[in-house]
Amino acid sequence: MATDKRSEALTAAGAILLLSSLIALLIQPPLQILLLLWRSLLAVVALILILQALRLNTRNAAVVYLDALIVIAAEIFLLISPPDLLISPSNLGASFSYRLLAPSAAFIAGVLILKDAINMLYGFGAKAREVLAFTLIRGSAVLAVLILGGIFSVILYNGIGAISVEFLTEPHRNLGQEGGIVTCIEGTMWLVLGAMLVSAPLGIGAGIYLNEYSRSHTLNRMITISISCLNGVPSVVYGLFGLAFLVSTVGISLLAGSVILGLMNLPTIILTTQEALRAVPDSLREGSVALGATKWQTILRIVIPSALPGILTGLIIGVSRAAGETAPIMWTAVTFTPVYVNKAYGIVPDVYQPVNNLCYHLLQLIYFLGAWDVEKRAWGTALVLMGLVLAMNSLAIIVRNHYRKKIRW
Amino acid sequence: MPFIYILNIDKVFILHNDFWDCMSVLPPALRRLPERIIESVLLITAVTSIVLMILIFSYLIRESLPAIYEVGVLNLVLGEKWHSAGNIFGMRPLIVNTLLVAVLALAINMAVGIPLAIYLAELSGPRSRAVLKPTMELLAGVPSIVYGFLGVIILVPYLGNTFDMLTGRSILAGAILLGIMFIPSITTICEDALRAVPTEFKEGSMALGATRWQTIRHVVLPAASSGITAAVLLNIGNIIGETMAVLLVVGNIARIPTPIYDVFDRGATFTSVIAGEMGEVAHGSLHYHALFAVGLMLLIIVSILSMIGDLARERIRRRFGGY
Repeated sequence: MATDKRSEALTAAGAILLLSSLIALLIQPPLQILLLLWRSLLAVVALILILQALRLNTRNAAVVYLDALIVIAAEIFLLISPPDLLISPSNLGASFSYRLLAPSAAFIAGVLILKDAINMLYGFGAKAREVLAFTLIRGSAVLAVLILGGIFSVILYNGIGAISVEFLTEPHRNLGQEGGIVTCIEGTMWLVLGAMLVSAPLGIGAGIYLNEYSRSHTLNRMITISISCLNGVPSVVYGLFGLAFLVSTVGISLLAGSVILGLMNLPTIILTTQEALRAVPDSLREGSVALGATKWQTILRIVIPSALPGILTGLIIGVSRAAGETAPIMWTAVTFTPVYVNKAYGIVPDVYQPVNNLCYHLLQLIYFLGAWDVEKRAWGTALVLMGLVLAMNSLAIIVRNHYRKKIRW
Repeated sequence: MPFIYILNIDKVFILHNDFWDCMSVLPPALRRLPERIIESVLLITAVTSIVLMILIFSYLIRESLPAIYEVGVLNLVLGEKWHSAGNIFGMRPLIVNTLLVAVLALAINMAVGIPLAIYLAELSGPRSRAVLKPTMELLAGVPSIVYGFLGVIILVPYLGNTFDMLTGRSILAGAILLGIMFIPSITTICEDALRAVPTEFKEGSMALGATRWQTIRHVVLPAASSGITAAVLLNIGNIIGETMAVLLVVGNIARIPTPIYDVFDRGATFTSVIAGEMGEVAHGSLHYHALFAVGLMLLIIVSILSMIGDLARERIRRRFGGY
């Protein structure tokens, strides 16, 4: 019984060490109190470890002795090293200060202690290894959630202060130090709309052809290969392509940007359309053809309506990707000078003019960060951009989940 | 004709019947004409992707040819210096830096992403899954420029402060940012691969008395290995091709760090060089063409990676039927 109590105490000590050292590494508070905690904890823990090891068989005891040794080493390091210790390897561009080394020592000790404690609690067997592995997996899951949740909350927290009516309804002035981002929102919307006008017909058409019509295996294979290649093409290469292919003929313009963004979205839309069409059971098609419908009638009135949620999901994902990409439009469509989109008859935009864009605006503000006071507006722009893209993505997820529950073949 | 359906269902139904009735008096060869036209239009849309692929390659090759002629293939790819002011264009520093960033980023990415995938596929309860899964999907959509912004505002000062660096901008900063950025994508694909492993495998292993962890380690992970390989390859492609985030934090100095493992040095990857320098380069100069050559190199590497990834996926499909 006593053994179990000691092991539990060890587990708690290990967990405390891990957490406190991680916090110390991340936030870097003054170390005095933490040092006191670590020094006392490590001394006690080393003692318990050695006591525990005496009861174990030789092989397991050796491991625990080794760990105890390392813990003692960490303790000695924490006790004797001066607070202004600075290790700077001559050939590295960085140096490691006490602020970094002390928590690291505590961290390593914490990991080892936790490992031994779990091993002792579960008797060094397969069960102990399972608990260890699952603890690690759960730990990294928690870590990932913290990182990712942190990203959301940091942007929300800092960005919300910059949002105001003025910010959302006025163009920027004075290199983005004053005014708002309305021209950027407008430009982004037109770019996205243009991109969808290019990619939706092409992508959906190609998806339908590949899934419903194509009989030639070679052609299918070739198209599939080129789609998967296109899917991997980096966005900056699309930018280069647009620069070489379009800018020489139509100039830096809304048209060039839309076409490039549309082509970039093409593989995504083809793949999601194909997937959605594949999910429609053949019995529906056969029933329709048996009633005398032609192939196109079947596709238009039976297959596409059944696959519509999937196709829609692909389109929405395309919208959010087009709204969030910077590299393809940097040299093909945007300008930093505030411009409204000129519209003939109030709706038809002038496609030969450059536009503002949220991503590019944010990029310029980041470049200005040190020189001018734009940080607050940069946070605001980031929040609006992220809000726009995430709203689109959540819409896609909702559409998909809604129909996934509803449709049963 | 057929597309009129969309406008008015009732009326069009009649229209459509009339239309098809009048078609039936035509000779059989003409009767199928509208169907043929539609099919060929769809064929054209399908072929667009092949054409686009060819266009991208040919334009990049065409624009980089002058640089290849002037500098020579070997000098361009393996040259030791990238120094745009002196018109010296060798990609070796870029290759080394890109490799460093990619390897480190992948290590971070896999260390967090794969355990997370195992958690989602094997351990999580329905409630934590219901929270985690949409969060992952949402995060996959966060624009890269936003990650770059966070990197500049938070990560770079943090690293600079922690490691007493001149500036925090470094290969390490780029790697950490990219590693975090692509956690959702590797997790999603790995989870799919893990879930594709038939339940019978797991039940068989458990029935033989293996613990859950032993089952995961010796049955589920090996069975899903090709899926995980595909995910990793895809992620290498993503990491190498990502632009905005890396441009803002990597430091943009194209030199090989000495010693080579000095990740605290500033660097420049393929993408950061293109994005950083293309804005201010004279159209048609050697520098312009050299940047296109960098783009071509990037395109070739990424295409090869995505082909291999595709083959790996194909293998899963053959092994387990469905993914």
